[in-house]
Amino acid sequence: MAKTNKISDKKKAIRVIDVSKKFKLVYDKPYTLKERLVFWNKTKTGYHEVLKHVNLDIQKGETVALIGVNGSGKSTLLKLMTKIIYPNEGKIEIDGKLTSLLELGAGFHPDFTGRENIYFNASIFGLTAAEIDSRVSDIIEFSELGSFIDNPVRTYSSGMYMRLAFSVAINVDAEILLIDEILAVGDQHFQEKCFNKLKELKESGKTIVIVSHSLESIKDLCDRAVWIYEGEVRMDGNCSKVIEEYLKVCG
Amino acid sequence: MIKELINNLYSYRQLLKSNVQKEIRGKYKGSFLGVLWSFVNPLLMTLVYAIVFPLILKNTEPHYITYLVIGILPWNYFTTVISQGTTTVLANGGILKKVYFPREILPLSVNLSGVINFLISCLVMCLFLVCSGIGFSWAIVFFPLIICIQFLLQQALIFITSAINVYVRDLEYIINFIISMLFYATPILYSKEMFAGSALEWVIQLNPIAIIINSYRDIFYYQTTPDISFLLIVFAVSLIILYIGLMVFRKLEKGFAEEL
Repeated sequence: MAKTNKISDKKKAIRVIDVSKKFKLVYDKPYTLKERLVFWNKTKTGYHEVLKHVNLDIQKGETVALIGVNGSGKSTLLKLMTKIIYPNEGKIEIDGKLTSLLELGAGFHPDFTGRENIYFNASIFGLTAAEIDSRVSDIIEFSELGSFIDNPVRTYSSGMYMRLAFSVAINVDAEILLIDEILAVGDQHFQEKCFNKLKELKESGKTIVIVSHSLESIKDLCDRAVWIYEGEVRMDGNCSKVIEEYLKVCG
Repeated sequence: MIKELINNLYSYRQLLKSNVQKEIRGKYKGSFLGVLWSFVNPLLMTLVYAIVFPLILKNTEPHYITYLVIGILPWNYFTTVISQGTTTVLANGGILKKVYFPREILPLSVNLSGVINFLISCLVMCLFLVCSGIGFSWAIVFFPLIICIQFLLQQALIFITSAINVYVRDLEYIINFIISMLFYATPILYSKEMFAGSALEWVIQLNPIAIIINSYRDIFYYQTTPDISFLLIVFAVSLIILYIGLMVFRKLEKGFAEEL
């Protein structure tokens, strides 16, 4: 869970203030010293501006969807919120414990058992041993892995792996959840279960920011949608209205 | 800045713990001897030097094998931490790109798992000290102090090297070269007296790891007080480098996820 910053406005969970992010585009990236010395002024660098002066406030308890076509900057925005990457301009303020489910199974070690990996994975999210102890049975139950939990993770099928990873992430119990396109985990039954769990989290007052292309489930889950188009906020408001407009242009 | 770092590390203490566990257990996972390799490895190394070196150099030390072990173990600790520490950020690129956690945990856990391994392998040293009849003296009270100084020095260095290695990947090869040079500039196989009066004496006198290894020798082999003033200089220098290292790491960590 990321460190908490103070936000003067107590109702806001996330404030994105005038944030711009560029990625360096380097053709023939110099990785070694030789390349750096030989080509020190020859590397062609360009910049790709992924986000352009984005402003976004997310209230506590809100469930917000970020939609947009591939490459519009949605995932970059999520990564900036988790502090995996940092903005070139502007700043981002977070109030509350934040967990990101950007990619599942971060730090799973194939030789360790499912149970050991629960401890390792949950500790990456910033939980202490005692906190994990109290959640471990919930996590195992949610994953439906049963006795497989004490087998090494390398023996798991990909579905089992994802189920375990999702179960850890969803049970971390953060105040702010950032989710990137991971609703499509496992079979129909497990997907529904995940979806219901998200609804439950929403009702318990968590702030959720979700990036997804499955517009139907977004409509069902979120109160607000933000349409990001070429690095800028194109439309922000009621979920079904934004999706309607989005489909007109991009559908 | 320091307070913030400590708070941050404290709230992620479980990650630090399980990372250290993973480094130690993961290292020997799948091997038959497991953690026993922490004993066997330095033992075999010592054996090789003990057989080969008396043929090349005339050694004057009465218990040469014990003398060797006391030098080789801390040296092993040093080289493992420096070479693993330099590559640790690169090696963990996968996790770095997926989740946020205090990045300082990576180099810190390399050093911590190193010191645990070193302490385990010190049992070999105790074995030799007892078997050779040298035994132990009160000078052993300096042991924790020397370990702390070595730990700090290494931590300072790998904060810098691990961060820079993400951007300039030659660094790990340069470091490996420097380590193998340093091996000869450190009195591990020979005693520092052999260089006394020669043109290269200053190399040993300025080499911080030589000062540390000589201190281990002093307390275990010669059973006297180590050279406290030299140790304190190494300590002060380590603290300064540690501060610089933290600044460098802080500055460079913001770009880790993009460079990897």
